Amino acid sequence: MSYREHLPETRGYGGTAIAVNALIAVVATLAILWWASGFGPFYEELFRIDPTFTGANAGVGADWAEGNQIVWLDFAIAITHAADVIMGVFILFMVFLHWGAFRRLAARMRAPGESPETDETVAADGGRAADAAGGQTDGAADDATGEAADDAARSDGGDGP
Amino acid sequence: MTQLDHGKFTRMTTTFHTLLALDVFVLFFSGYSMMFNDELWWLVGLMGGATGVVAVHRVAGAGLLVLVLFWMLMMVTTDTGRGNFREILPGRADVDAMVQDVKFLLGRAEERHPNARQFAGGTADDIPLLTYIGKGVVFIFAIELALLSISGVLIWSKSGIIELMATRTAAMAFVTFHGLLGVIMLMGVMFHIFEHGFHPAFYPVEVKAFIPRSMIPEYHADGGEEGERAEEARTGIERLELSPSWNAASTIVGALTVIGIVSVLLGSVFDEGYPVPREIVIGGGPTNLLLTVGINAGIFVLFLGLILQMYGNLLRVRWERQLESEERPPAATDGGELRE
Repeated sequence: MSYREHLPETRGYGGTAIAVNALIAVVATLAILWWASGFGPFYEELFRIDPTFTGANAGVGADWAEGNQIVWLDFAIAITHAADVIMGVFILFMVFLHWGAFRRLAARMRAPGESPETDETVAADGGRAADAAGGQTDGAADDATGEAADDAARSDGGDGP
Repeated sequence: MTQLDHGKFTRMTTTFHTLLALDVFVLFFSGYSMMFNDELWWLVGLMGGATGVVAVHRVAGAGLLVLVLFWMLMMVTTDTGRGNFREILPGRADVDAMVQDVKFLLGRAEERHPNARQFAGGTADDIPLLTYIGKGVVFIFAIELALLSISGVLIWSKSGIIELMATRTAAMAFVTFHGLLGVIMLMGVMFHIFEHGFHPAFYPVEVKAFIPRSMIPEYHADGGEEGERAEEARTGIERLELSPSWNAASTIVGALTVIGIVSVLLGSVFDEGYPVPREIVIGGGPTNLLLTVGINAGIFVLFLGLILQMYGNLLRVRWERQLESEERPPAATDGGELRE
């Protein structure tokens, strides 16, 4: 007997699958990192004196001066910059869209401190509290009491910030 | 109660979500304090300076690899994982949902599209597994995490990346590329925090990702199983009381989210992190007070997300206790199944 009796029968993920897959993931990660650290000795080589360039710019530190001359990498960085800007603008649009939608939804909710029983309570913006019956959905404005006009007036955003 | 909206994710998914969130937050804090080191100098110091912050980032990176590989395996090797795949595919309805959201914002639609609804007010079946935003999050994060993991592994050993890239500058440019990749996700996570923390019906945190569907009763306690009583049991948003602090909190965090997103976007354009900038800049980067404040605002939003997801888990624990105390079963402290 447990409280679970009253809860739905849901079929989740099996414990065996979780355990086996977690183990495989850990082992694969260790293998990948072992492979990655095998490129070279694991210590900072960044500041060794190692003139690698020949020609007019040869000398210590010349590889910095030579710069990033890998074409595909330069291109990848440029593409990523562009993607960042495009996605950033889109995400900002989404933020404002949800911010506005949330304000509209909030305007439909009961004002803080308003009790559910008293339908005649005056809301802070002068509207009247919506009837409790038959609420439908995220943003269903009309209710069964014929106060749709009031509601429509209130649903346009409530009071300013 | 509005919890019926939330019988969506399995226990494994909710646990995974928390682990992934914690890991990604650590990666963001360590990674972007490196990339934006002049704006987030204090965060670098907090994580043990230039050496410490790299170590923290590598440890969290190893954690991310484990999580990503585990998730891929779960999605491919289990029926539940394969069964959910068509649920996350974006379709025509998702485009409609976005268009209707714009109309709803402008007051030209009375309600949000089912594929946009975070709050349904009825049973869990009334809204899809993921909103159109949720599907976008799944796809963007999947692509981002894959690319970040691959490029991150290549950067794992500095001397290794130098051998791969032929010059040191190119190696550093590749590190920069890795950092720029993460910017989309950084901005996306800020929005994600705002979206799931500040919906007026769920403020301060939506519990969908924290309370597994196995713990959500299928019907309201005061409603019948079907017919009129179940209809009465539906929760219209008009019946919910707005939290007194919602207005101020959503305005402040909304503003901080916008400032944070704009700032990291500008920062990623100016502050490339090249050890040798394309143009000589005295001081190593834009020593810009506004940008510094803005990027720190973004970090604050991320920190808030960290707190909110902890709170979501706290709510799950309370929910579990409440269920147990209502039924008073013999206590199972580990939350496991009780034997008959």
